[in-house]
Amino acid sequence: MKNLLYGVAALAVSASLSTVAMADGHKQYTIGVSNTVQGNGWREQMICAMRAQALVEADVTNLIVAHRNTDSAGQLEDINNLIEAGVDAIVLNPSNPDALNSALEKAMAQDIVVVAVDAGVSAEGAYILSNNQEEYAYLGAKWLFEQLGGKGDVVYMRGIAGVSADTDRDNGFKRALAEHPDINVVHEVFTGWQQDQGKQQIFDYLATGIPFDGVWTSGIDNVIVDAFTESGAPLVPIVGADNAGFVQYLTEVEGLNGAAVTNPGSVGGAGIALAVDILNGKAPENKTVLVDPVLWENSTDAGRETITAAQNPNLDPEWPVSVTVPGWTDYTMEQIIDCKGPGEG
Amino acid sequence: MSVAIRKHAWVMGLAVLLMVLLTITKLIQPTFGASGLESIARAALPFAFATAGMAVVVIVGGIDLSVASMMAVCAVTAAVLMERMAGVPALFIVLGVGFLMGLINGLLIVVTRVPDIVVTLAMLFVWEGVALLILETPGGATADWLEQAIRGHFLFNGLPKALLVIAFGIAVVWLPIRRSKLGLSIYATGSDELAAFRSGISVGRTKIAAYAICGLFCAMGGLSLAALTGIGEPVPGPYLMASVAAVVLGGVVLGGGKGGLLGPIIAVFILRIIRTILTLLAVDPNVTTIIEGTIMVLVVMLGTAASLKGARR
Repeated sequence: MKNLLYGVAALAVSASLSTVAMADGHKQYTIGVSNTVQGNGWREQMICAMRAQALVEADVTNLIVAHRNTDSAGQLEDINNLIEAGVDAIVLNPSNPDALNSALEKAMAQDIVVVAVDAGVSAEGAYILSNNQEEYAYLGAKWLFEQLGGKGDVVYMRGIAGVSADTDRDNGFKRALAEHPDINVVHEVFTGWQQDQGKQQIFDYLATGIPFDGVWTSGIDNVIVDAFTESGAPLVPIVGADNAGFVQYLTEVEGLNGAAVTNPGSVGGAGIALAVDILNGKAPENKTVLVDPVLWENSTDAGRETITAAQNPNLDPEWPVSVTVPGWTDYTMEQIIDCKGPGEG
Repeated sequence: MSVAIRKHAWVMGLAVLLMVLLTITKLIQPTFGASGLESIARAALPFAFATAGMAVVVIVGGIDLSVASMMAVCAVTAAVLMERMAGVPALFIVLGVGFLMGLINGLLIVVTRVPDIVVTLAMLFVWEGVALLILETPGGATADWLEQAIRGHFLFNGLPKALLVIAFGIAVVWLPIRRSKLGLSIYATGSDELAAFRSGISVGRTKIAAYAICGLFCAMGGLSLAALTGIGEPVPGPYLMASVAAVVLGGVVLGGGKGGLLGPIIAVFILRIIRTILTLLAVDPNVTTIIEGTIMVLVVMLGTAASLKGARR
């Protein structure tokens, strides 16, 4: 035990020495990350984007990642531990907007910058950076309605009722719908963001034989294409998200006219970039920063080129295909696939 | 006599380990002090109560897989009630709900004679569903005094209120019971059910009581979750496995009859502080759980080896 103690002491001393040695005009920020869903492709991409962005930020010397499956009480524990670790900023994907206030307020009282990515927090003074979900739905719906010539019947497949991302997307969808008065929603369902459930729902609707002209789905997309091909129904234009499976279908499935709207997990990398900006005194005017999505469609040559360029066989099939956030992240595709933060071999 | 020595040796060993870990934390992070202790005590709150409940049913010779789900039910009940009524009556209702759930678990096990592991596994899903019925998505609110009761220090810096809440909550339930007829019956039933029965102990009633006590501790755990987050979350947290781990690490024999509550509670703090250390050292999160598990197995192995050696002497 004594040896271990000496070992740890030596480690601590050498760690503090190495930080001094690294002084070369750059700031030396330590950033803490807290996330409570492990093993989900989107969240794993988020973590890797955070590591990659921290690696390319010259002012970040250390990244402490608390990344596990836990509840809000566990996230409170992690945030408090990050505060104890003396981080300069905390970038978190909150498990709940209201549950973390005690720890976040404690952090901000110690001048630690708090950036919530993907979802908001209600703690006063925290920055929020997330994908613009309303724009996400608007962009895809508008494209779909234009493909149909502004006239036709569409199937509207939502996510989970009551979840803020679904509510925001619904607002965007309704906005596009209002601009195209001749478009009718003939069928509206909640997929629960479950692949099997969404597939069954479209199977059921195809079985009714009621004709429709297009499908807008809230990210449950490749199984919808599967349902069409398996049941032998003629394909209609489909809008989904930039999930690897769906994007691949856009290039491969004969007769599929569709579009993928980006909802990048790499927004985590943007969160790191924002935290560094704030630490360097370049805080944005608004505490809430929205990242606008991009639409990739396969109906034009330019669109097909974008889709082909985005695909990378080394990319995890569970990840969203868009690995960077233009204007925010600075890492390369290799760096995010590598998933190594500062100080990691 | 040797049993008593061994039991205390284990608890002493754990206390020494905890001190060593605290020293290591201080060495890694020289600024670690009262505020760090307070954070750890607060993080330990739900784990401590889940562990206390689990320890009681393990001592009686059973196991309760539904602890995390019962805590979720109690947390959402507290959050829903406290949004609508005064905090103090709500608190007692929640304690009653927890006690009742534990009672139902115990009754089902004793009356149906279905193995405890099966009954409580089924009840894990039942209580999980109940929690979702009470509150579909995280929400509700808690009384301010409840949140304040676990935050900060008592009298002087370095004595976290959360630690006192743990000590008080467990002592007020367990101390009167432990030395009473019920307490002795719990230990007797756990060490040998048949012998206990032949000595005139009502084994069934003892088991039901133990599960009800577990439910009561889970209610305290649920209340501490609500107090920590200020809301109620219907989805159970990671308290089942963590409580079994702390019970084993705390020197309670899984077959029943041996061990106390002090060991498991110290074990809870050991497991929490290990996580703090791993965070301070910025260890890869995927490696963290491996280290946590390895340390646990090593400590139990060393402890068992040491106590076996002691017994032979």
